[in-house]
Amino acid sequence: MVKIANSESTFVVLLCLGYYLVMTIIAPGFFTVNNSINLLFNLLPLLIISIGQTYVLLTAGIDLSVTAIVAVASVVGGFMMSSDTVWFHNEFTTLFLGILGMLVVGVLIGAINGWAVAKFAMPAFMVTLTTMMLFSGFAIWLTQSQNLYNLPESFVEMHYTYFLGIPVPLYIALFVVLLAYFLLNRTIFGEWIYAVGANKKTARISGVSVSKTLIGVYVFSGFCAAVGAILYTARLETGSPVMGQNILLDVIGAVVIGGTSLFGGKGTIQGTFFGALFMTLLDNSLNLLNLSFFIIMMVKGMVILGAAILNTVVERSLKTG
Amino acid sequence: MKQIQHSGLQWVSNNSTLLLFAVAIALFGILSPAFLSFQNAFNILVQAAALGILATGMTFVLLTAGIDLSVGSIMFLAGVISGKMVVDGAPLWWAGLVVVVIGLEFGCLNALLIYRLKVIPFIVTLATFYVGRGLGLFISDTRAINLPESFLTLGSGKVLGIPLPVILLFFVITLAHLVLTRTTFGKHIYAVGHDPEKARKAGISVNRILLGVYVICGFCAALGGLVAIAQLGAVSPTFGLQSEFMAIAAAILGGVSLFGGRGNVFPGTLIGVLLIQTIQNGLVMVNADPYLYPLITAAVIFLVVGIDSLQNQRREKAKRLGLK
Amino acid sequence: MLLRMRNIHKVFGKVSVLNGVDLQLERGQLLGLVGENGAGKSTLMNILGGLFVPTEGTMTLDENLFAPTSPNEALQAGIAFVHQELNLFPNLSVMENLFISGFPKKRFLGLSLIDQKSAREKAKELLSIVGLNVSEKVKVGQLTAAQQQLLEITKILSRSPRIIIFDEPTTSLTRHEAEKLFQLIERLQSEGIGIIYISHNLEDVMSLADEIMVLRDGNCVRQENQNAFTLPKLIKDMVGRDLETYFPQRDVTPLREKCLEVSQVGAEVVHDVSFSIRKKEVLGLYGLVGAGRSEMARLLYGLDVMQKGTIHWNGQKIQQPSPEKWVQEGVAFLTENRREEGLMIQQSIARNIQLAGLPNYTTPLQTVRFRDLDSDVEQQARANKIKYNNLKDQSVATLSGGNQQKTVLAKWLMIAPKLLILDEPTKGIDIGARHDIYSLVNDLVKKGSSILLISSEIEELIGLCDRILVMGEGRIRDEFHKAAFDRSAILEAALHGKENQTLAT
Repeated sequence: MVKIANSESTFVVLLCLGYYLVMTIIAPGFFTVNNSINLLFNLLPLLIISIGQTYVLLTAGIDLSVTAIVAVASVVGGFMMSSDTVWFHNEFTTLFLGILGMLVVGVLIGAINGWAVAKFAMPAFMVTLTTMMLFSGFAIWLTQSQNLYNLPESFVEMHYTYFLGIPVPLYIALFVVLLAYFLLNRTIFGEWIYAVGANKKTARISGVSVSKTLIGVYVFSGFCAAVGAILYTARLETGSPVMGQNILLDVIGAVVIGGTSLFGGKGTIQGTFFGALFMTLLDNSLNLLNLSFFIIMMVKGMVILGAAILNTVVERSLKTG
Repeated sequence: MKQIQHSGLQWVSNNSTLLLFAVAIALFGILSPAFLSFQNAFNILVQAAALGILATGMTFVLLTAGIDLSVGSIMFLAGVISGKMVVDGAPLWWAGLVVVVIGLEFGCLNALLIYRLKVIPFIVTLATFYVGRGLGLFISDTRAINLPESFLTLGSGKVLGIPLPVILLFFVITLAHLVLTRTTFGKHIYAVGHDPEKARKAGISVNRILLGVYVICGFCAALGGLVAIAQLGAVSPTFGLQSEFMAIAAAILGGVSLFGGRGNVFPGTLIGVLLIQTIQNGLVMVNADPYLYPLITAAVIFLVVGIDSLQNQRREKAKRLGLK
Repeated sequence: MLLRMRNIHKVFGKVSVLNGVDLQLERGQLLGLVGENGAGKSTLMNILGGLFVPTEGTMTLDENLFAPTSPNEALQAGIAFVHQELNLFPNLSVMENLFISGFPKKRFLGLSLIDQKSAREKAKELLSIVGLNVSEKVKVGQLTAAQQQLLEITKILSRSPRIIIFDEPTTSLTRHEAEKLFQLIERLQSEGIGIIYISHNLEDVMSLADEIMVLRDGNCVRQENQNAFTLPKLIKDMVGRDLETYFPQRDVTPLREKCLEVSQVGAEVVHDVSFSIRKKEVLGLYGLVGAGRSEMARLLYGLDVMQKGTIHWNGQKIQQPSPEKWVQEGVAFLTENRREEGLMIQQSIARNIQLAGLPNYTTPLQTVRFRDLDSDVEQQARANKIKYNNLKDQSVATLSGGNQQKTVLAKWLMIAPKLLILDEPTKGIDIGARHDIYSLVNDLVKKGSSILLISSEIEELIGLCDRILVMGEGRIRDEFHKAAFDRSAILEAALHGKENQTLAT
């Protein structure tokens, strides 16, 4: 089992490395400081949201609503922090409550998803599909399709603020990644996630609190999406109701390329990290090659398919061999 | 006494979609008397044509426990290509034919990837979703295409006083119903959806069935796309976005199971489609905030899926205990 | 002679499963095929059914050489199989199931449609032959297990078979339904069809069979006329030793003190069940299929909702039982279907064993003390004699049935259960593994635990239990103490209640 996981992670790592080398040679402006920083800032929110998605997929669920969570969190953050609305006067209070508000949004929507999946045994696909429709509609309704500008300086400057030579978003991402890794690999919650994903009935009979675990993973996914929304909102300096509309493919792609199974019980944080890295590299390099975004879209679609095909081929050869 | 109450409740939850349908009609009827007019009922039917055709195709796929996320992209691609062709002066019938072939090809591609390479339908169709949309945006150069008058007459044209889209919808649903209930292929779809392994043992070629349903779904997507653009008069870059989700939702509302083997096109999916369209139409009639449409539609779907899941749990328990 | 199998050998890799088995079957004869799991019954039948090609040996059908290379070829030759798991589609109607592999057709507007009328007529005709009195339009999911089985037989009869193999046909039937099946089988015999009947229910085999063949470890112990057998002799032939030495001895007497008290528990198919278990007691629960044994255990463990009744654990009332609570209290439940509810089949052996005991290895911060856990898991795996290569990298799917069951048991022993509920713990498990499991159970009792053992094998209950309860129709029918264990009285108690009920309705 570990061997398979190892060989799979090795594959993604090599893929990233090889791709990085090739692009360094053929894409002009790829191997520069500016582009590297750009790459990093593109990677962080995607990585964070994909990690939340990994948790959900490990329980054999799926969270399609992450896009809507990003939108609602961005809009709510925008309302609470924009100087146009003037909810709070003190800048620190604004920042603190604004960020808190965004996180609460993520956790709440995640809790609704988890509650419906755990207590009503509704299929995760349908639950998160409807919450996606509901909350992306909600975000647009709240703002009447308008963007929210004039966010506090300290918030939008986040990407250019350094502590000990490291930009703030990296600390945030590091915190989420380490937290996710710790929960999954060192705590009973992590063991329960794998158990619920592997066999819900066995887990329940063995004394695992299945509903707590399920609600937990959707809440975590919502939380991660909200953190992702914080980074996106700060970077674009706007609260936007359509933010995150196009990230679903990147998120699912990152997780699947990282070796997580859609059927639950199999996958790692390391894998997802490299999956997210690969999706970001792909996006960034194709942009630098001056390819239009619809070509990038097609390429990404095919890359995901390729990864899935490879995965099944590997699994089949393991079964027969 | 308790028994009667119990079965009453059960009836309610067994027919939640029909009941919601009735509630919606009553509510909108009270709020806006014009809603109940014959003309409006007809309007609903006309508006439902495109979604109805899409959802019919989706039902075939869902019955085999599959899913097709590429429907919206096929629609879009079909719209873009036919639009371009007609704008460039190609005859309508030729554009229509090309579009339908594109739908069939996409369906074929989906099916081949699913059964040849054994990749799950969700990933395959997610990939073709992006490929299709990317291709469409590439061809249209992300600009809206305005269609000539001739195209619009397709959408508003009438035969014997019945609008063409309604005739098409009627035709598609009748044919689908016939296929599902009266042909070997239809029965084999249900068998594969229940358990592909058992189906194989019974001598059914599972691959052929999968090929069939995805091709049908691709065909319906292209046809639905044509109907929709003929009604809209233009193909915008966002055309067809989330259509696959509406089609899935309509089928699920009509009692089709995501896990395969359960459901039908008539009356099932048709009722789901009409419910969604009635709510949208009703919201327009009562002058509701347009931003609220998706919220209300999503809430209704959530409600029905929730009730159905509770029903499912009960059914499974009864089955395990050998009760009826 | 309808069928003759001569000197059949079958070797898988290096393992020899059949070592020269001979089998004869006359037209209209019923051959009872008995043997422990792993004795080679299913391999032998799969060779007959064309799934396997024998390594050595020949078969003749009606004195003609018969060497099928595929199941289809065997089917064409008239060999039909009624498996335990029926090949029916519950979401399709009776008629559709009958013709799923080939509908009668007609042309309509250029389409090839199912000819509903002739299909319906043919279906009615077929159904009347077996006496299955249901509408051909009804969905198969709505039929009872017995009706579904009859439908499967109907499907087979439409292909005019010469030999029908029944594999454990009565496991999901009530007694009354089984009797009806036996009448049908008798009728098939009178029409000249040869029957091979495989069952663990030895009483049934004794009463039905013309001849009985006993397989053990891939050898035919003997094939003789039914009259030559008595039940004890049959068991001895199957097991290879006397029953007394088959079950390990245990010199523990139950304490007075009760650990579990159940009173008036009821739900859909369980009615007013009351009983109690003493500390250090092994309590057996016997009943036929549909008696409500497993359902009762599921209620007790909180897997289904209890509608009435109370449960006391060590004198304390348990409000709303749930697996979570029971595991905390040290009560374990080994369910009857280990693949679906006992194991995480794709996960490693270690992950499976550690699952239930995890809360005992957590720090206040909810982190897991993996070092302690890993060493204890390994110790438990060794104590349970699980045969594995790598505890952490090998998935349980690669283990044999017996080792899988030992893995589930290891998972429960990790919580050092005070009460262990075992539901059919030796179903589908070979003799060696059975013996290991019996020994583990005895050791547990010696250490002070109690056992609730649910089983459909009376020998197993007699061999292990201090007391046996008999269930029927969701109620407790009778109780037997160790001194008064009597095989036929226990069976009688299980059957008797059943017949009363049938007469009443």
